[in-house]
Amino acid sequence: MAFKGLGRNKLRTFLMMIGIVIGITALTLIVSAGLGAQDRIMERVKKFGLESMMVFAGAGREMGQPTSGQPTTSLKLEDAVAMKQEIKAIADVAPFNQKRQAEVKFQDKSTATTVIGVTPSWAPVWDWDAAEGDFITDEDIASLARVCVIGPTVQKELFGTADPIGEQLRIGNVQFEIKGIMQTKGTSPAGGDMDDRIYIPLSTLMRRVANVDYISAIKIRLTTAKDMEKTAADIKALLRERHKLAAETPDDFTITTPTEVTKMAEKVAGTFNIFLALVAAISLIAGGVVVANIMLISVNERRKEIGLRKALGAQRKDIMLQFLYEATAVTLTGGVIGIVLGAIGAKILEGITQMPTSISWVSVALGVVFSSLVGILAGLQPAKRAAALQPIEALRA
Amino acid sequence: MNNNLIQATNLTKVYNKGGEGGGEVYGVRDVSLEIRKGDYVAIMGASGSGKSTLMNILGCLDKPTSGSLKLDGVQVSTLTDEELARVRNRKIGFVFQSFNLLARTNALENVELPLIYSDRTDITRLAREALASVGLSDRVHHTPGELSGGQQQRVAIARALVTDPEIIFADEPTGNLDSRSSLEIMSLLQQLNEKGRTIVLVTHEPDISEHARRIIRIADGRIISDEVNPEPRVAEQEMNALVSKEVSNENK
Repeated sequence: MAFKGLGRNKLRTFLMMIGIVIGITALTLIVSAGLGAQDRIMERVKKFGLESMMVFAGAGREMGQPTSGQPTTSLKLEDAVAMKQEIKAIADVAPFNQKRQAEVKFQDKSTATTVIGVTPSWAPVWDWDAAEGDFITDEDIASLARVCVIGPTVQKELFGTADPIGEQLRIGNVQFEIKGIMQTKGTSPAGGDMDDRIYIPLSTLMRRVANVDYISAIKIRLTTAKDMEKTAADIKALLRERHKLAAETPDDFTITTPTEVTKMAEKVAGTFNIFLALVAAISLIAGGVVVANIMLISVNERRKEIGLRKALGAQRKDIMLQFLYEATAVTLTGGVIGIVLGAIGAKILEGITQMPTSISWVSVALGVVFSSLVGILAGLQPAKRAAALQPIEALRA
Repeated sequence: MNNNLIQATNLTKVYNKGGEGGGEVYGVRDVSLEIRKGDYVAIMGASGSGKSTLMNILGCLDKPTSGSLKLDGVQVSTLTDEELARVRNRKIGFVFQSFNLLARTNALENVELPLIYSDRTDITRLAREALASVGLSDRVHHTPGELSGGQQQRVAIARALVTDPEIIFADEPTGNLDSRSSLEIMSLLQQLNEKGRTIVLVTHEPDISEHARRIIRIADGRIISDEVNPEPRVAEQEMNALVSKEVSNENK
């Protein structure tokens, strides 16, 4: 009955529906784009690994932030070895040290990149291995070998499309032979290019390149993602003991868990999301106002019909139900059309901007319910007034 | 118990005039009347005389300011809106001057409308029967826009009949029709009355009112005369006469 009535006045139905359609389309599109961006950030967090932790030398370090001032020298290779031996929840450790903005030369080309000294455990701990050639081996560590594995970005900059394996390059004044190319990793949670790196044996970096006896960080892989807090506490206790820190001395290291990485990512996403929510709310309100207006006009136009129906025996509740059904049918249909258009729009947007999109059914459903409510309330109030009139008064209108 | 379908006593309807010191306007003043079952009553009067107001009150479309109205033995003045809706649905059928059919809705659905608000279940069958009884079996799926004025008014009569009401109120049913369609409608109403249906006809045209068996004249909201029409016009005869006249005109 409701659908029949709506089919009879196509223009009015169309106008009512269009408000909802626009509102929901905008909402779907905006939420999809926002969630897509958030998904992308979470994907980056996953790259870090959910069963992983990081120990940085120095207090108050944040991931991806360059050290300011003097480097902290208290974190040693032996700390990493001790952690793996003494804490059961730790599956493996990847101690490393790095030299930022190191000058790297190949023939007449040069670039500045991050040189990371690693152990073979880097590959399983980061789940990140050489794509071509080999990664750093235990023999390389033992022999302080002058070999390196380069990231795809470095490869592109220095070699273009040529095969770099077996070539010699210079890091500072030391010659290295390229033995492998790393897998592509993309952007880090902090936004840096994780492929713009050169890996060399940790021992080689410490003795031949940087001449230091300390490391900058240890990445830890746990046996399980559970009890993360307890493991972090164990690591803290072990390091404080090994570093002989007095009770009142602050930590000279920083432990970062995925929770903190996630928090950091959320901080970035937060600002973006507030903006998106605002735009979505505005479009919904605009849609709701359009529907409310058309409903108001439509009910006033239809006073005569209400009068007739009452003259023929319709009770007040019959009139109310009719308008309720009509408003619900229009807003729900408009909502579904809006979702479909929004989803199509999101796919198109994805194609144009290369930004991933992701539809949140909960927020889209909430949007439909909200705009339906606006439409229904806007329609029911005047319908109620018209239904309360004596039939002849409504008929005369 | 008496045989009165309608018993109205001292009905008065007062309208408040809008604006400053507007005062009051009487629609109907102190009207008392009875209508027996099976009667055919014409309420006659000039425009603004209060005849439509009276009909609206008698038909429970409007409430009197004061006075009492009994319909089929039920005191209507004390009923709730819901009970009044039920009375309108079951006991009363309306035919309006401007037809008041739902636009873009076919004849069948228009006739089904009052049944939707009743507890009947066989609404399509009843609606088809009602349309057949007004001679529109072949126009069931036509919308008002596709029907002539006379046909639209016949759909409206079918709609008034479909609930098998005690009484039919017709407010200027021929007001928007040419003379031939008017006679068709009047003939239809007369047939219904002959089958025992009570009819109240409101009109300002003496010619039309003379089809009724009783004529009540109204002026300034009061009844000025209430007479039996000794020789009601017979619409069917008039129609035949009209047709033969047209035929002879064409043959000239």
